[in-house]
Parts: sequence; C-alpha cells; structure tokens
Amino acid sequence: MQNGDAVVEMTNVRKEYSDSVALDGLSLTVRAGEAVAVMGPSGSGKSTLLNMIAGLDRPSSGSVVVHGTDLGVLSETGLALFRRRGIGMVFQFFNLLDDLSALDNVALAAQLTGTSAGQARKRAVELFGELGIAHRKNVYPAQLSGGERQRVAVARALMNRPALLLADEPTGALDSRSGEQVMDLLLDLNQIGQTLLLVTHDERLATRCATRLIEVVDGRIAREHSLERAL
Amino acid sequence: MNAVWQAAWAAVRRRKLQTIVIGVVVCAASATLVMALGLLEAAAAPFDRAFAAQQGAHLSAAFDPEKVSEADLEREGTDSAGPFLQTTVDTSSSDVFLGSLTVVGRPDPGGAVDRVSVWQGRWATNPGEIVLNRAPGTTGRTEVGSRISLPDRPALTVVGFAHSVTGSADAWVTPAQARELGPTALQMLYRFAKADTAADVDAGQARVTAGLPAGALLGTLSHLTVKDKATSELGVFIPFLMIFGVLGLVVAVLIVANVVSGAVVAGLRHIGMLKAIGFTPNQVMAVYLVMVSIPAVAGCALGTVAGNLFAKPVVQDAVDGFGVDELSFAPWVNVVAALGMPVLVALAALVPALRARRLPAARVISAGTTAHTGRALRIQRWLSGTRLPRSVSLGLGLPFARAGRSALTLAAVVFGVMTVTLAVGVTMSMTAYNEAVRPNHADRVELLAGPPLGLRVPGEEAPAARLSDAEDESMLRSLPGTTALLAMSQLETEVAGGTQKAMISFYRGDGATLGPRVLTGQWPDGPGQVVVPSRFLNQRGLSVGDTITVAARGNRTQVRIVGVVLTNNADQIFADWSTLDRLVPGARADSYQVRTAPGTNRDTFTAAVLARDPGLRVLPPRDGTSSTAVIIISAAVMLTLVLGAVAALGVFNTVVLNARERRRDLGMLKSIGMTPRQVTVLLVTSMGALGVVGGLIGVPVGIAVHQVVVPAMARAGQADAVDILMNVYHAPTLALLALTGVVIAVLGAVVPARGAARLSIATVLHNE
Repeated sequence: MQNGDAVVEMTNVRKEYSDSVALDGLSLTVRAGEAVAVMGPSGSGKSTLLNMIAGLDRPSSGSVVVHGTDLGVLSETGLALFRRRGIGMVFQFFNLLDDLSALDNVALAAQLTGTSAGQARKRAVELFGELGIAHRKNVYPAQLSGGERQRVAVARALMNRPALLLADEPTGALDSRSGEQVMDLLLDLNQIGQTLLLVTHDERLATRCATRLIEVVDGRIAREHSLERAL
Repeated sequence: MNAVWQAAWAAVRRRKLQTIVIGVVVCAASATLVMALGLLEAAAAPFDRAFAAQQGAHLSAAFDPEKVSEADLEREGTDSAGPFLQTTVDTSSSDVFLGSLTVVGRPDPGGAVDRVSVWQGRWATNPGEIVLNRAPGTTGRTEVGSRISLPDRPALTVVGFAHSVTGSADAWVTPAQARELGPTALQMLYRFAKADTAADVDAGQARVTAGLPAGALLGTLSHLTVKDKATSELGVFIPFLMIFGVLGLVVAVLIVANVVSGAVVAGLRHIGMLKAIGFTPNQVMAVYLVMVSIPAVAGCALGTVAGNLFAKPVVQDAVDGFGVDELSFAPWVNVVAALGMPVLVALAALVPALRARRLPAARVISAGTTAHTGRALRIQRWLSGTRLPRSVSLGLGLPFARAGRSALTLAAVVFGVMTVTLAVGVTMSMTAYNEAVRPNHADRVELLAGPPLGLRVPGEEAPAARLSDAEDESMLRSLPGTTALLAMSQLETEVAGGTQKAMISFYRGDGATLGPRVLTGQWPDGPGQVVVPSRFLNQRGLSVGDTITVAARGNRTQVRIVGVVLTNNADQIFADWSTLDRLVPGARADSYQVRTAPGTNRDTFTAAVLARDPGLRVLPPRDGTSSTAVIIISAAVMLTLVLGAVAALGVFNTVVLNARERRRDLGMLKSIGMTPRQVTVLLVTSMGALGVVGGLIGVPVGIAVHQVVVPAMARAGQADAVDILMNVYHAPTLALLALTGVVIAVLGAVVPARGAARLSIATVLHNE
C-alpha cells in the first residue's frame, strides 16, 4: 500500500446500544502513512470507533471498509482472519498472557497465521531488538515494568506487519517516563511508514505522535485538523 | 437487611450463571447422593428390609391336626398368625405344571405375622380361587386366569400373585377351599422377640411347642434358612449395587467440592473489595458462605426430592427380587442428603474462603485471576515450541494453571470413566453369561416328542410322537434347512452320597455343537461320561475326573466327570446317549433341537415337521432374557448415564470458571486474530486433555474393580467366576472405553466453550 491510499473508510457509521447512541453517522478516512489521534471526553464514542475499525464490534448502520474490505460482510471467523494479518492492536492494559513469556506472547500472533514456532520466535527476537527489550524476552509479564509490557504489546501488534496499528490509550496505564518511551516508539514506527490510529486522552501523545487530530463529541466528529509534530 | 446479607444477595443476583451452575450441580449431586445412599442401604440388607416390611415369620411350623387342636396352639406373649389349614397339591397332571405345591388356607394376606403382599390380581376370596407365591415380576408361564385342573379335586383358577418373604406357602386359597382340598397340617407362623441366631429360634420354638403332645410338630422352617436361600439366589446384586452406591457418593462429593471452591476462588477480587470498604474478615467469609449457600440449599432441596422421585424406581427395580414390595428410602438417607450436602458445600467454600480471608485486601484486589506456578509456566513454554496448532497447545497448558481445580475435575472424569468401564464390563459379563446359559437362538427349532422321563404322563394333551425315535431323527435330518440336530432325553436320578437329586440330560447327535458351552474338559463322547456345572462340583466338593454313582428306575451306574459346562442350574448333568442305556435301556428321545440354515423360514420348517409327524409339539422360541440380567443391565445403564452426566457437569463448571477467569486473555486472543472456532478448540482441548488422562486412569481402575465385583457377584450366586464372565474387555472395547473420558470432557466443555468463543472482545478488553 502506498502513502495516500485510503486504509480506513468509515461512512455514516451509527452504533446504537439499548440506551444510548455511541456513534451517530460518523464518517472518517485514514490514509496510508497517517498517524491519526482520536480525542474526546469519556463516553464520546472514541473506543467504539476503534472497535469498529478493528472489527471487534459491528455498526448498527453505515459501512466500515479497511484495506478495501467491507467488514460488514465478514463473519466472525472472517473478522478474526482479517484482524490476524490486517490489524495490530495495543491496549491500555497491555493484555498479555500471564503464563507465556514475553517472547512467546509476541510469537503467538505469528503462530496463529500458521508460522512455525521457530520462525515466529526468530521474528519476535528481531522485534525485541528493534524495540530495545531484547534482554527481557524470556521474562514473564508479571516481572516486566509497565513500559516494558507495553513495548511487548506493541511488538505483538507488529508481529504480522499489519498495515494499520490501532492503539487504545497506549500510555494511559504508564508512568510519565514509560509513557515517553512508548510515545517515541509510536513516532518512530509512523516515521518509517506505519499507519497509526490512536485513541487517547493524552494531548501530549496526540500532538507528539499524530499528523492529524480528530475530536469526537457525542458520536460525531466535532473538529478535525492537521498537526505539526512537536519534535 | 444487614450488610452481609445484602452483599451476598447482590452477588447471587449479579452472578446468575454461577448461581445456576451451583444450584444445578448441587441438585444433581443431591439426587445422586440420595440414589447412592439408597442403593447402599438397599444393598446392605434387602432381605432384612423385605422381611421387616412383611413382619416375616421367624418360625413357620406345621402341626399334626390329629394331635393338636387350634386352641392348643395359642400362646400368650408371642406374635403369631394361624393356625391355617395346610395341604399339598400335586399339579403334575394339570395343564399348568407347577410341581408339588404347599397350599395354605388363609382368609386374608394381612395379620400380625407374614403380611403377604399381593402384587398382581387379588387375594382368593371364593372357592375355586388360588393365589400363587411369586417374587414380584416373576409370573413364569402362569398368569391371572390360568386354570389348574386336578383329578378328583376341584379346579383352581389363579386370581393373583403374592409374595411371602417367609416362604410360608407356595399358594394360598380360602380356608373353606383348603378344608375341601383335604388339609394335612395346621400351619402356625411366629415372630419372636429375639431370633438373630439358630439358638434364639430354637429357644422360641421350644416355648411355642411346650406342652404339646409328642409328634404334634411335623416340621419347621426358620427364617435363617429362608434368608440363606434368598441371599444365595439374589445376593448377586449386592456387590454391584454397593460399588455403584460408593461411586455415586464419591462423584457427588468431588463435583460439589470443585464447583464451590471454584466459585470462591473466582471471587477473590470481590472479597478484596469487600474488605477494602470495611467488611471484617469474618463478614467477608459470611458473605461468601451465604452467597454459595443460597443456590446450594435450593439445589439440595430440589435434588433430594428429585432423588426420591427418580432414583427410587431404579433402586426398586434392583431389589424387587428380594420381595421389597414398596421401597421407601430410610429417613436417614434423606436427612444425610438434605443436611450433608449443604455442610459439604459450606466446607468446600470454607477452605478457599479461609485462604482469601488471610490475604491482605490490596493483594487480593490486585491478584491476577490466574495462578502461576513454575511448573505451569515451564509446560506452557514447552508447548509453545511444539508443532501443535497454537489453540491446541494453549489449551493443553491451561489445566496446569489451576492445578487444584484440574485435579478435582480429573478425578470426576476418572470416576465417570471408571463407572462406564465397570458398567460396560458388568453388562457384557451378564450378557455373555445370559447368552451362554439361556441361548436365544433364532435359528433353532425345539420339538417335544413326549413327556420328559420321570414325570407322569399329563393325559391327552401331552405330545406323543407318531414315528419312532430313529424315524423322527432321520426325518428331521432329511428336511431341507436342517444343519445340525440334537436328540435329548431327561431323567431324574439319585446321586449316591448326596441328599439332592439331579436331572441328567442325555444327548445324541451334534451335542458338542448345540449343547451347553464346555468351560473345561471335554463334551462327553462315550458311555459313562458326564459334564456338570461348576455349582454342582462346588456344592458336592467334587472335581473334574471324579466318579459319581447315579441311580434311576432301579438301575445304578458309575459316571466320570469329564468336563464343566456353563449353565445356571446346579443340579443338571449332561451325558452321552450311550449312558442312558445303562439306566433306561431302549428309551426314546423326548425332545429334539434342530439348527436350521440361514434363511430357513421357521413356520415352513415346522409345518413340514408336523406334516410328517403330527405327534410332535413345536415349542415357542425361547425367551432368552433373564429378569436378573435385565435389571442389572438396565440399572447399569441408568447409573452410568447419571454418573456420566454429573461428571460432565463438573467439566462444564470448570470450563465456565476457566473462561470467566480467562475472559481477558480470550478477548486478547480474539483481538489478534484467533477465530471463535479456535477459542472453542482451546477450551475444549483443555478439558479433552483431562479426558484423555481420565480415560487412561479410569479404564484400568474400572477393569480392576470389575475383576473384584464380578467374582463377588459370582460367589454370591454360588458360581465360579469363569472366563466368560471375566474376559470381557477386548481391544476394540478398551479403545472405545478410553475415549469415554474424552467424550465426557468434550460434552461437558463444548457448550461453555462456545459461549466463551462468542464473548464480545470490545467489552472484555476495555472494561478493566
């Protein structure tokens, strides 16, 4: 995919729950190579927006097309296969498997695609080196710091070389120093061409990593503007 | 409403699935417990129960009416029934052959002693009516309405079947009818205050016969003798029922311990939160005990009622043969189930709750939801390097994360597999034995040529072959469709040195093919050779190779035992036809057995036989079923289903708990591309692994128990545990049995696993 091509195209997406409307006719396009930060108050629909793009949830109406694939036509299994190769996700609370070592957590993503354990571990070791945590590869999540856990989570998200990296409050559970490290990591990734979509409350993260800022209020895009990265 | 109750009730309402699972498991376990305890109680003393229920007679006595009057027999201070007029009726010349019957004239079946239970039809209230003494469900060839016509005596119509555990009579009629039949004795039935030993019964007998003229007492029957006979005939059930009772008990306890302790462990974080907002450690414990007890008490109450409703018929079937008329579980069974199960639940909850109580609140709140031990991590690391699909290797490692829970689940699966293995083994043993002793060959035609030797000719109705023995045999052999033929003649003989008689069946023709199965030695093929059942040898202290002397019709001959055959009649001997000539020279066969070729029409064949010799009588095809075998097999099937279902319920609960604890992990796995099917595979594999191990442990243990139970059953039936009973597990059967554990595990796991696979990732991952 070349820079400028649309990676995500959301059109008039509405998501209703029994007692509320999370997204109200939202439309959004994310292009390859962009780093888009989504901000907004609690309950504004940011996480729902992310879930729609990741295929974790389905819209009540409207369409979500990612890498040219209309997610609305995919079954649960189809969505899983789509996520496996097309999407990398980073969560606020890391969501690592406690009984797998850091290396095996990362290798797991590749193994799901059918890659052998040996090949998966080799690729994971490379990523650990690139992310600066090679010395921690055989440690279990409980023994890692918050920043290290999030780096491991990022490594896992990058394992299958996804075209789109989604991050939901990636620094929300980290101390400031760890948060800085993760911000640097995301910035570096985007600068080498990784498309990013961040959901965050952290304005520093948004302004530092994103090339475009979208503010969501009551399920709609209230404001949208390009950013100059603060280097 | 105090804080403890409020918190507990809120937890019950919020954790609906857990509440339902605890309720259902405790309900099923309580029902199983009622059944298990009921079985144990029933199996412990079925004769005694039946005897007590009927106020059985400790002593049945027959007095000479010429020497004592009815008034002479009255005794103060002793419970008694009678005197009843007693006579003997020989039915050998009747259409309905019932042998020699001891018939008692009795106005009604009730009374202080020997309360006879009428289980079909009604009591005899009019002249010409008779009620036969039979164990419930066993009417034989007679039925209500059957007519017993006797020469020079009034005809009697069967109006009902009743059972006397005491065995006080073979049949009952009205007192007036008994008088008309010609009474030969006065029957008295006594219950003594103490009758546990023969000396007690003798002492009681001395009291009730004191002062009577010499020779007035014609004969007596002690309840101890009756009990010995009953338990030797039906005691075969007892080891079987006992072992199933114990299995039911153990499985019920295991499952409840697993479910309840799992519920408490799953709530560790909740416990920590309660502490954080000011609940004392004891209050926290109380919240948890109440939370678990609410569904447990409801489930226990329902289960106890259900156990009484549904388990009782199973136990009733099993003990019917003992004459237990209407089974009611002893009060202690329900008390133990109703009180014991909640106590068990409380104990199971208490252990992990005490552990949680000791933990600081902060640590409990922050504790991960999974346990991590070094071994579990090493296994998970090793599995991740294997070539197995990742969903499978992750699933295989899951049981090690919660070793205690997995061990309890595994134990339940082991017991489930063991139950199935034992039940299958017992069923196969019973089926093999039944097929051997009661062959139900659709390809055989049995023909009567005349009345069996030793019995009186039953008049014009009896079969009477028109052709000679040799002509009949030749005719039968020449018929299209005949592939093998056996001619047989029966003769009642005295066995010298013994007190019992024996029936010898003399075989001519293809005896080795069509005769009973030879277990050891050989089929007799010459004069003076016999084969006998093992019970014949055991009761007389004989062995193969010994020689015995038999006598009949004034002739005597020695025969050598050359083998052991499988048959359930202890007093039946089989000999070659050449031996018959020594006892009854020139006797003819009284029956023939023909094996027909496949595809031969039975009706066409028998029509051809009767066209050539109309004097032959074709017997209806044998009903090869045995009520004992049917009851044991059906009880085995029922118990297996119940215990297998309870074991599967334990697996279900484990998967529910694991999935709940692992919901964040499962959500993450789905978020990185694990399909719902793979999530299902992961969770099912985790239990399938336990199923495999459970199968590998449960099958050999089940076989070992079979090797103990079946010989015990055989001993109770005074038979040998012959190969046909013991060697029932063959390779294909073992392979299928080994899969039982996997089947139990997969059946229990698949529903909650599919539920977990449908978890909303968005909800799981964003709600921390």
